[in-house]
Amino acid sequence: MTEVLPQFKIVTPDCVEAAIAALAGAPDARACAGGTDIVVALRKGLSETGTLVDLTGIAALRETATGADGGMVIGAGVTLAAIERMPEIGERYPAIARAAAAVAGPTHREVATLGGNLCLDTRCVYYNQSHWWRKSNDFCLKYRGDTCHVAPQGNRCRAAFSGDMAPALMAHGAEIEIAGPDGTRRLPLAEFYHEDGAAHLALNPGEIVVAAHLPPAGGVSDYAKIRVRGAIDFPLAGVAVATEPGSAGTTFRIAVTGTNSKPLLVDFPDALTGESNADAFFAAMQKAVQKAVSPQRTTTIAPHYRRLSVSALTARVARGLVGLAA
Amino acid sequence: MNVQDKDRARDRSGAWENAGRTVGKPMPLVDGVEKVSGRARYTADLAEDALTGRILRSPVSHGRIVRIDTSAAEALKGVVAVVTGADCAMTYGVIPIAMNEYPMARDKVRYRGEPIAAVAALDAETAARALDLIEVEIEELPAYYIAADSRAPDAVLLHDNKAGNIEREVHHTFGDVAEGFREADLVAEDSFDCAEINHAMMEPHAALAEYDPEWERLTLHSVTQVPFYVHLMLARCLEMDSSRVRVVKPYVGGGFGARTETLNFEIIAALLARKVGGKVMMKLSREESFLTHRGRPNTQVKLKIGMTRDGRITATECEAVMSGGAYAGYGIVTILYAGALLHGLYDIPNIKYDGYRVYTNSPPCGAMRGHGTVDVRHAFESLLDRMARQLGLDPFAVRRANLLEAPLFTANGLMVNSYGLPECLDKVEKASGWAERKGKLPKGRGLGMACSHYVSGAAKPVHWTGEPHAVVAMKLDFDGSVTVLTGASDIGQGSTTIVALAAAEVLGIEMGRIRVVTNDSVITPKDNGSYSSRVTFMVGNAAIEAAKAMRAKLVAAAAKKLEVAPEEIECEGETFFVAGSSQSVLPFHDVAIAALAEEGTINVKGTFSTPIEAQGGKHRGGAVGSTMGFSYGAQVVEVSVDEDTGQIAVEKVWVALDCGYAINPLAVEGQIEGSVWMGMGQGLSEETHYIKGLPAHGNLTDYRFPTIAESPPIDVQIVESIDPLGPFGAKEAGEGALSGFPPALVNAVADAVGVDMNALPLTPDRLIEALTKLRRANKNRRAETREAV
Amino acid sequence: MKRVVSLTVNGREVEDIIPDNLLLIDYLRERRGLTGTKQGCDGGECGACTVLVNGRPRLSCVTLAASCAGAEVETVEAQAHGGRLSALQRAFHENLGAQCGFCTPGMIMTAEALLRDEPDPDEDRIREALGGNLCRCTGYVKIIRSVRAAAEELKA
Ligand SMILES: Cc1cc2nc3c(=O)[nH]c(=O)nc-3n(C[C@H](O)[C@H](O)[C@H](O)COP(=O)(O)OP(=O)(O)OC[C@H]3O[C@@H](n4cnc5c(N)ncnc54)[C@H](O)[C@@H]3O)c2cc1C
Ligand code: SF4
Ligand code: FES
Ligand code: FES
Repeated sequence: MTEVLPQFKIVTPDCVEAAIAALAGAPDARACAGGTDIVVALRKGLSETGTLVDLTGIAALRETATGADGGMVIGAGVTLAAIERMPEIGERYPAIARAAAAVAGPTHREVATLGGNLCLDTRCVYYNQSHWWRKSNDFCLKYRGDTCHVAPQGNRCRAAFSGDMAPALMAHGAEIEIAGPDGTRRLPLAEFYHEDGAAHLALNPGEIVVAAHLPPAGGVSDYAKIRVRGAIDFPLAGVAVATEPGSAGTTFRIAVTGTNSKPLLVDFPDALTGESNADAFFAAMQKAVQKAVSPQRTTTIAPHYRRLSVSALTARVARGLVGLAA
Repeated sequence: MNVQDKDRARDRSGAWENAGRTVGKPMPLVDGVEKVSGRARYTADLAEDALTGRILRSPVSHGRIVRIDTSAAEALKGVVAVVTGADCAMTYGVIPIAMNEYPMARDKVRYRGEPIAAVAALDAETAARALDLIEVEIEELPAYYIAADSRAPDAVLLHDNKAGNIEREVHHTFGDVAEGFREADLVAEDSFDCAEINHAMMEPHAALAEYDPEWERLTLHSVTQVPFYVHLMLARCLEMDSSRVRVVKPYVGGGFGARTETLNFEIIAALLARKVGGKVMMKLSREESFLTHRGRPNTQVKLKIGMTRDGRITATECEAVMSGGAYAGYGIVTILYAGALLHGLYDIPNIKYDGYRVYTNSPPCGAMRGHGTVDVRHAFESLLDRMARQLGLDPFAVRRANLLEAPLFTANGLMVNSYGLPECLDKVEKASGWAERKGKLPKGRGLGMACSHYVSGAAKPVHWTGEPHAVVAMKLDFDGSVTVLTGASDIGQGSTTIVALAAAEVLGIEMGRIRVVTNDSVITPKDNGSYSSRVTFMVGNAAIEAAKAMRAKLVAAAAKKLEVAPEEIECEGETFFVAGSSQSVLPFHDVAIAALAEEGTINVKGTFSTPIEAQGGKHRGGAVGSTMGFSYGAQVVEVSVDEDTGQIAVEKVWVALDCGYAINPLAVEGQIEGSVWMGMGQGLSEETHYIKGLPAHGNLTDYRFPTIAESPPIDVQIVESIDPLGPFGAKEAGEGALSGFPPALVNAVADAVGVDMNALPLTPDRLIEALTKLRRANKNRRAETREAV
Repeated sequence: MKRVVSLTVNGREVEDIIPDNLLLIDYLRERRGLTGTKQGCDGGECGACTVLVNGRPRLSCVTLAASCAGAEVETVEAQAHGGRLSALQRAFHENLGAQCGFCTPGMIMTAEALLRDEPDPDEDRIREALGGNLCRCTGYVKIIRSVRAAAEELKA
């Protein structure tokens, strides 16, 4: 049943302030950047909105710049295709370029934006379905229903955050800049997300994401993703690892997507030194990831597999970064 | 071999003595320009000024319909008509003895997504609103999604006349199986579970129905592969005289079997059109196209093979259980095919087969490329490889130890006249560097191989009327152009091009002189449709016969004009002349005019009927699997396996297929590539996945057929065994290679990482689970050995 | 809501009254009769609907028509010139890059954008660039060959 798009009006602000005003002015207004997620959601009846605020006309969101600290600022409206190709990002923040190149298919990435990717809705087999499907299944907690079919005992939605960009940015210690009716604020990207599939973003009414701020990169980084096919597929799980060389050895910042309702920073403070037993070190890292993640039955592929593979992948990516490939 | 520069000089015993002027060379499709330019019109492109039709579908898997109230929907402004099961009391189905489906459910619904009602409205928005206004009350019944549950002793019956929820049981034994196993040095047994898959052709389903109340006539344009069957079912379900029905097949965006039977939306569109007295466009979403299904059923195969030390197969015992979905569809044929095609590939004297086609509360399964054979062939070729390993034999050697010698009839009465398997084996063995590389690849990388075969057209169609299997009509007129009329349904496989090539070859004329008109029941001769790879063989032969008839008339006219006997006339390209003389040369058009002078516009036809010997054994169900000739294939697959993530990369495929004769080598290559690749999808990643009967796979991100990114290079070699009955010696080319891929993959994975996978597809989670088990088993074994020491 | 939108479709400047919630694919197919652009999925999953917007590939089934105000839209219908096929169209035709032809318009448009950007892509680049375009018939072998053949022809 080809779903019919709901009636809405498009507003096309040309500056951030106007966008905020438009969003704050109508309670059901939704931002639309590349539209590769939200238009699909509208087609499937996953979202109702009377006003679509098209952010693509705002030049300020499409800028990248060198940060005051020598890092980098990437505007929320920069496309993933641009991020993938920007030599500066490829050289300094390889995980971010790799993650961008791993999103969906190349045609999506032509219009898909960083902001849209960071604000991507969470995903679940019970949710990303047609209206008929969800109605036949009495809907669910996330939208229009009152139980969660994944974890019926629980009282929250477990839908998985499935964006590729967030972990890469988090591994690099990014902060997110948000503008809203009360001005702008900045917070570590990890704090932008909540472990609740139905409300996973710390975004207040009228707020939009303006940019991501990256500190200067200390070490090297990489991103790897688990999917069944070589393109198009959302991550079943994905992991970004960035090294931080220090006097007490190399530490690793690890961030994982696809396993929880938010992208996770994995706590693994150990440093790798010349004296470390590398096998034991990476085995411990693998264990740490295994413990940190909690994939649910939100995809047709078993949660247990997603846990095992993403932790194994983490160790492999980390080994690769320090030239200790198994 | 590169087809582009293929040497066309070869021995062709019989078929068509002069073949090779037009046929045998790579030729782009005659309708290719339309496709690449965007001019080709598919059903959904014909919507102008039609009403929008939409279907209300069952929200439950199994239940009794207590009440349907459409009054609110009918009252909605912009709604023109609403139909329900009450509007059609006739069943439909592809097999005359098993028509048990209503276009819209009447008393019972049997799967989630089954049509219950439908609306025609001025626009899509109104249609959607109207569906929401239809009230349906259903009293739910227990539902079963796998065969074992529906077969349980206390299970509620889906269909009252089918005890045990079994649609059809098949028990066939040929030879002395017990004796065969006694002769074996090794008897091995294993069970395989092949997931249900779907065709997922790129074009979603659509039908445009138009009813003219003044003449009381119906026209349907649809995405079908079988316009003739659709025609029959429309007449039946609408209780119309078939002369008042017209079915047209426009361009079709793939089918792969999904459209080899009449589908509910086609009848529903027609019912709506009649009710509104006008035009209704029914476009199904991707999800609905999945719900309409007719895919390959989940099949559980138990297989036992006996083998001598030197690799000779002495006996085979096979049980197949198919979870077939809620209605009969092609089910009987599928379960018969699975057993019949245990024969015909190798020389196996003793075969026992037990098949069970079981009803389940899910969308009905049907025919899909490689109909019936794929999952059983998968089990067979996988087990064969494991036995070879146990006996220390090379997988190629085991196949070679069991070759047939054509011509012959198999134990179950299948006719085999040509058999290019030995050459296929030689070719892929060599191309893949098997002898040098097998067993010497680094860990994580592996080679596997398998063989396969498929029919070139079912020798007996499901609607057996006694008339010829194919008819092609041909017209020559004053302008010197030749029009070929055929009901053969081109769905992308290139059948229109084959017909044009056959005509051009026999008539010796340029392709530009020929136009092929296809698939309009008021214009073109009846054809059974595109399934079981029948078109090239049957329609190709009919086209040759028609062209021969026309040629005879032209030769006679030329002879009369040149005042010689017809036997003295020779043709060279588009000229006719007297043998041995260069003086009297007549151009084609002059000869055409001379021929027309005799009788006016020339109309001829050619037909093809299958010989009685080809029609299979005398046992019940013996017609299924019978054919005029089998294609034969062998392939080698190379994989690398990521043991951390379970991801398998197919590095390369080498395949050789005996298609008898490549009338159009370019199209043959394309068909082989496409079928190998589709086998790869089934092997690697494709499966349906229902959550209590709701399809979780109803889109193209969760139904994962391969993208270009992970699709491997495929090295294709064509083997030409020149079948004595085939058109120019040709057999089928579009299905035979498919079923070889999944087992070759499984065998390659075993070679790479040492696990024998018994479930398809080999998704990364399944592989990781198997690898974890293997590691655990190895660890235990090491622990045991330590204890023993 | 509706608005008057001016845009260029296949080289022709047009002005249309377009509802805000109209998808570009429906605008092209239903309002402009350009049915060469195909719908293969329920939104954003298959690439059959790919057109060019300002020279870049775009999924017309997840693009709102109103957002194309002022843009230049190209569909498969505009690729042939004077009735002669474009290099890519010819290559797809001659190399059997199209079997059923349903994915073909989207394939050709995505490949067109690639070749305008990178006239001589190797096989790996082609695999990357066409990653979002599904085909169920060809196994992609001849699609890759077709794009390579077009690149060769353009070079010559
Ligand atoms: C077939 C398919 C496959 C996909 N595969 C992947 C994948 O592999 N990996 C992946 O990460 N994603 C994938 N996606 C999802 C999506 O394409 C990407 O996440 C993309 O980056 C979203 O960006 P966008 O600009 O198109 O977002 P939009 O659709 O425009 O917006 C997405 C959400 O973000 C909000 N939003 C957008 N910009 C802002 C802003 N500046 N401030 C606040 N809110 C904002 C919108 O309101 C909306 O809720 C896939 C999508 C499809 C259809
Ligand atoms: S996790 Fe539960 S509540 Fe969330 S989308 Fe899935 S079924 Fe709904
Ligand atoms: S129609 Fe499938 S991506 Fe647009
Ligand atoms: S040619 Fe049929 S889908 Fe690509």
